Amino acid sequence: MIEFERFELDNGLKVIFHKDSTTPMAVVNILYDVGARDESEEKTGFAHLFEHLMFGGSINIPDFDAPLQRAGGESNAFTSNDITNYYDVLPAQNLDTALWLESDRMLSLAFTDKSLEVQQQVVIEEFKQRYLNQPYGDVWLELRPLAYKKHPYKWATIGKDIKHIQDAKMEDVKAFFQKYYHPGNAILCVAGNFEFSFIKERVEYWFGSIPGKLKPARILPSEPIQKEFRKLTLERNVPANAFYYAFKMASRKTMEYYVADLISDAMGREKSSRLYIRLKKELNLVSEIGAYITGSLDDGLLMISGKLNDGVSFEQVDVEIWKIIDEFVSREMSVPELERLNIKIRTAREFQDQGLLNRAMNLCHFELLGDAGGINEDLMVYQSITPKHMSTLGKSIFKKKNCSVLRIKSTK
Amino acid sequence: MVDRSQTPELKQIDSIDFVAPEIRTEFPVPFFVQKQVPNATSRIELYFNAGSTNGKIGLASLVSGLLLSGTDKMNSTEIHTELDNLGGFHDISLGHESVVLSLYGLNDKLAELLVLFCQSISAVTFSESEIQELKEDRKQKLRINMQKVSFLAQREFSKNLFANSDYGRVINEDNYNSITRQEIIDFHKAFYLSGLFKVVLIGDFQEETIVSMEDMLIPFVNNLPLQYNKNLQNTPGSFHTEKEDALQTAIRVGRILFNRKKDDFVDVTILNTILGDYFGSRLMSNLREDKGFTYGVGSMLSEFHETGYFLIATEVGKEHKDAAIAEIRAEIEKLNQELIPADELDLVRNYLLGQLLKSADGPYAMTDLYVGVHAFGLDISFYDNYIKKIHEITPEKLQLLAKTYLDWGQMTIVSAG
Repeated sequence: MIEFERFELDNGLKVIFHKDSTTPMAVVNILYDVGARDESEEKTGFAHLFEHLMFGGSINIPDFDAPLQRAGGESNAFTSNDITNYYDVLPAQNLDTALWLESDRMLSLAFTDKSLEVQQQVVIEEFKQRYLNQPYGDVWLELRPLAYKKHPYKWATIGKDIKHIQDAKMEDVKAFFQKYYHPGNAILCVAGNFEFSFIKERVEYWFGSIPGKLKPARILPSEPIQKEFRKLTLERNVPANAFYYAFKMASRKTMEYYVADLISDAMGREKSSRLYIRLKKELNLVSEIGAYITGSLDDGLLMISGKLNDGVSFEQVDVEIWKIIDEFVSREMSVPELERLNIKIRTAREFQDQGLLNRAMNLCHFELLGDAGGINEDLMVYQSITPKHMSTLGKSIFKKKNCSVLRIKSTK
Repeated sequence: MVDRSQTPELKQIDSIDFVAPEIRTEFPVPFFVQKQVPNATSRIELYFNAGSTNGKIGLASLVSGLLLSGTDKMNSTEIHTELDNLGGFHDISLGHESVVLSLYGLNDKLAELLVLFCQSISAVTFSESEIQELKEDRKQKLRINMQKVSFLAQREFSKNLFANSDYGRVINEDNYNSITRQEIIDFHKAFYLSGLFKVVLIGDFQEETIVSMEDMLIPFVNNLPLQYNKNLQNTPGSFHTEKEDALQTAIRVGRILFNRKKDDFVDVTILNTILGDYFGSRLMSNLREDKGFTYGVGSMLSEFHETGYFLIATEVGKEHKDAAIAEIRAEIEKLNQELIPADELDLVRNYLLGQLLKSADGPYAMTDLYVGVHAFGLDISFYDNYIKKIHEITPEKLQLLAKTYLDWGQMTIVSAG
């Protein structure tokens, strides 16, 4: 059970306090409710570029990192298609430094031309390092627009094209800040060995005077129901043929999300999973095989992906994947198999919850979903899933016309 | 009115409460137990004398990958299914000087997991089909890695950093092909069946459970003298590996240095932090935050039992390769020629103390810290001394260390792209 308390400032900032009396460290985590899905199609990669600029100095503080490091702490952030999350970890006695820094950059950024110019370069190098200069690195740049036709999940967080990052203008940056970076669009979690009254007072002190604004409305084009099987084969200079099956699945806030998560585990999480046993151990067709979900807030993807052994054709593996799927949906899973999936989830959760930062991030994440208390309930949701749920949802997900397949064919 | 122009007052860290794990006195090799865990998680780590410098190239890697590949009673799938039934996670980590098998699970399942693990490892039959499958997987993985500039650079760097030693061997596909089943069996017998030289157990366990685990592990205890290379030497100079069509160039710069047994180690750690081991470091400030050459650059000190090395690593846009190497050199030379400003040193002091506090947070971190010094014949006083040295270090001392250890002429410089 992860205990927490909650309050909201007059300017709309939602605050969660999580007490842990065993740690000498403190975590300040801020989730801004903005991600790559909020970008316009002509200016992609912006949410992530903006995350970099958040470290380029704020209105009263020329450098974000140095004061935090001087306080013994460190900071980082990540951007996804859904959210942007910033965190600071520092010795508890210096908590005020993190609150000072975070509140100042929520108040306003310095917006220097130099910072924008350099971070454009840095992000372009990141684009190359992670997506363009790696074997199979561009898979998600290609797969997203295959699986999504309308919803902004059709572009990757890094952006559709390096050109969008090169073209970013200071006025775009400022407008983005005005719209998304304010108390009404943020969730703050402070975790550590503190008293609630102290946290309330310090958060009110640092964040209370930041002007409140209305939360921006999010009206995204919804993805039409897929009605046809999609297939794209790309030739690349890679050593092995690789395949990526993307099945549409439900959004984060649904029961189906949890069931789909368990289905992906059953299919390909571990070496005891169905795809691994059949395709790798019994038939020796693949070198790697796995299944997982993208975990996105709007309608997501259940993925099956792997690499072929030399001399094996895409068609051979395709036939076998659909056989395994057919078996999955036509016969109910045994209770021991379901229990095996659940104990893995429970064990992984126990380990994740050990980390103070993890707890703080998760509390913000669940608060965004509607209630931080969800952090203590989702294991029960997994445990309530029955074999019948699994095969019923499997039937609706694992349909050919709900599937997009990307194949990377080796030119060697 | 909130005064945002002033930094909030900082409180320094003067001391940290380090808690040593218990050491099991009856067990013939070091066996550490940390029972103060406030939740249901647990972990056991088994250290085997089966590192990659032993045997033919690639042999240690194949054996470590086959440990759970099946016995007369259970095949690989049955073993993994049973591990999953118990909710266990495991990790097999191969280093130059050892292999660490880590087993994670809820504390009421860990003893059962360990039984399964021990039985699987001791009775592994090394079937030809499992060997063949792993060889093919490894070869494919190698072919993929050979397309990464970071991998190519690291490979060339290893060859020249650990020149003329078993530490600098790099693998080719043919090495996998040449390994026989008998060699695998012999390696397993020598380095696993009697190669266990350290155990680290963390979790809220009863005495009888710990004793049962000791009984399971006794048969694996090492009976060979542990020998480690003391005399690694790097080959200074510049080396380049060409890769067509690469958009970035990977750069590695480094040299053989020493480990924490050497008096200068802590002070050099401070110097290394200033140069490249935190977000505000000189290399990050220069190559990333000022010039935008790279997504990231860092330096580190890495340790072996008897020696260690210093390393700078980055990937830069290929058009920036020469400029990036020149800037790395300039930053190193600046440490040689100029005193570090008091303000910067002060920041790094506080940063390091904060990071030490963090790395001692919780039973897992604290135990790892302890085990990390015990391996070198040191005890927890190493960290009290570490704090003292951080407080006492001066710019003059750091400049002297830079002149002694960070001489560009001594560096191995590798690029791939």
